[in-house]
Amino acid sequence: MRRSRDPTWRFLLPSFLFVGIFSVYPIFDSFRLSFYRMILTLPWLGQKFVGWENYRDLSTDPVALDSLATSLIFVAVTTPIEVLLGLAMALVLNESFRGRGWLRAIVLIPWAVPTVVSSQMWRFIFNDRYGLFNFLLFGDATQRYWAPLAEPYLALSSIMVADIWKTSSFAALIILAGLQGIPGELYEAASIDGATTWEKFRHITLPLIKPALLLALVFRTIDALKVFDLVFVMTQGGPADTTNVLQFYGYKKSFAEGMIGYGSAIAVVVFLISLILSTLYIRLAGTGLLGKEPQA
Amino acid sequence: MPSLFVLFLILLLAPLAQAQTQLRFVTWQPETETAWVWDKAIFDFEARHAGVKVVREVGPHSSTEFHDLVTQKLRNRDPQMDVFFMDVIWPAEFAAAGWALPLDTFFPAPERQSFFAAPIQADSYEGRIYGVPVFIDTGMLYYRKDLLDKHDLSPPRTWPELVRQAKLILAQERDPYLTGYSAQFKQYEGLVCNMMEFILGNGATLWDERRLQSTLNDAKAKEAVRFVRDQIIAAISHRGILAYQEPESLALFTQGKAIFHRNWPYAWAVANDPRQSKVVGKVGIMPLPAFPGQKSASALGGWQLAISRFSRHPQLAWEFIEHMTSSEIQKRIALYTGRAPARRALYRDTEILKRNPQFESQYETFLLAAPRPRTPVYQPLSNIMQRYFSSAIAIADSDIDRLAGSASRDMDRVLDLLRNRRLP
Repeated sequence: MRRSRDPTWRFLLPSFLFVGIFSVYPIFDSFRLSFYRMILTLPWLGQKFVGWENYRDLSTDPVALDSLATSLIFVAVTTPIEVLLGLAMALVLNESFRGRGWLRAIVLIPWAVPTVVSSQMWRFIFNDRYGLFNFLLFGDATQRYWAPLAEPYLALSSIMVADIWKTSSFAALIILAGLQGIPGELYEAASIDGATTWEKFRHITLPLIKPALLLALVFRTIDALKVFDLVFVMTQGGPADTTNVLQFYGYKKSFAEGMIGYGSAIAVVVFLISLILSTLYIRLAGTGLLGKEPQA
Repeated sequence: MPSLFVLFLILLLAPLAQAQTQLRFVTWQPETETAWVWDKAIFDFEARHAGVKVVREVGPHSSTEFHDLVTQKLRNRDPQMDVFFMDVIWPAEFAAAGWALPLDTFFPAPERQSFFAAPIQADSYEGRIYGVPVFIDTGMLYYRKDLLDKHDLSPPRTWPELVRQAKLILAQERDPYLTGYSAQFKQYEGLVCNMMEFILGNGATLWDERRLQSTLNDAKAKEAVRFVRDQIIAAISHRGILAYQEPESLALFTQGKAIFHRNWPYAWAVANDPRQSKVVGKVGIMPLPAFPGQKSASALGGWQLAISRFSRHPQLAWEFIEHMTSSEIQKRIALYTGRAPARRALYRDTEILKRNPQFESQYETFLLAAPRPRTPVYQPLSNIMQRYFSSAIAIADSDIDRLAGSASRDMDRVLDLLRNRRLP
């Protein structure tokens, strides 16, 4: 009897409601819609249940497959670089030196700037006539200036640079939190045992920040897979469709073309890929991320 | 001191006076220099309608992005949006989806006679009308009169002639910053307009509206695309234009760094404004060239005002549209922004012609402008075409036959959705 008067559930209810309405319901609704053919601009076609048809179409749609490849390349290139840069930044920020507080704040600026603003900024930097990028490379020799956002083989890399600039500090933030949880005594003990800096890093720092590294990796992977605003502002998927990442393609289908069913199928695929990748990371690196302690 | 008190009182009571009708107008960002014209037009409307406040919601400049914003609101049946700007290619889509309010009772057929036929046709879908044209756009060719004169050239009538002239001037001027042709070749809606002008100017089409079949795989259409890749992009332009929309391509021209430039009519006013342009008085304007033996074609552009089906104030919204498309406001827009008015009578207005002499020569082009085909599935077709055109021209050795074939098949699949239509 006392159990039922336990107030715990009442405290939990708001968060359950929140997650339910804003996460669970939309996900399930996307799943449901992905089994329908529904084209907003052709209302007379109605909302017809088509089973797996959208997914079958998707698996043979060359544009979708290309954009899937583009997304995966984007993830494969940006996430490792971001986590490594983040680690380097976090190690520096974890040292004590004058002005560390300032530096910590400054490092976070790229991450704090709204993506649309920073995308616009990078679009200017990569401009083929007055961009800073060209000025640094060629100075006043404007006739040699490149047009990174106009070249099919450079556009995606340009967006990657913008993404790395922007989000490395987010990885740094997570890793820094991990670093700060390491007790100083461990290093003192290691020093007494005569460990070098590298050995301390290899055997103390790295194993202890593994959960933080993993967390950064998972967050960055999911985010990179969903990259949208950079593409939207900088290239709109062009040139020659080379920056048409999966999320942008899905957006075009749902919102510009009104193909709700097909767009939802793309959204579901993006969701499943992030789910699989995250599970994979956690399994492979299996640490205390999900609350289970690693078997040492 | 008492005046300060009064001021304080006014500020305090101002929110109470807000108990008035709000009309939400979704618009794009006008050019900074001429924004006051639009501000004043709205101010005048408010002055004539006591208790009405027009709230402007400013969307992105690009038509593609603006479309995303407006359709988002319409899909969600947002009652907040009353009046919105509509690109000339959207009415069919918005009408079929039941998003735009039919304006037949407000805007009877005789009234429509005062406007150009092409935008009125574009605003109509299955016998009803969904928008009122504000200004009309068609692709025009701008050229540097001074450079052509200097090299004893007369304005080009055909595309190959334009390329020859550009090559000649580039070779003799030896200016590394000068480019032959500046236009809009980024992967977006503007690319469809630009490429359509080349394709139609070669006697081909984008698709057959009657048989619902893509015609991009026809030899003449592919020839035009190949010409752009090999003779324009690779020969007389720089690669940067593959990322240009209207503002960037115009800036290149007004900075004196382009010989030929394709843009809408508003570019004339900008190119002749000493505050923004280094080529004032050195600019010529003419219809776009065609391929030899073919007729010149300009894409019809331009913006309409429409009412959302979900608006709570359709009558007031209509009065706003009536005001914004009146002769008075259209004249002001024509005078100060250089946008070409959609009302035909204004092309006989001496004050407008004095300030915008180019309108006289543009009138014929406006009468003959080619609308992009009307269909509720325009967006998917456009996205397929944008992808195809961008891939074909941005890659120097692109396999145009293969790309055109697959774009055609994709378009046919979308057009198939329109077959065997059951009427609702």
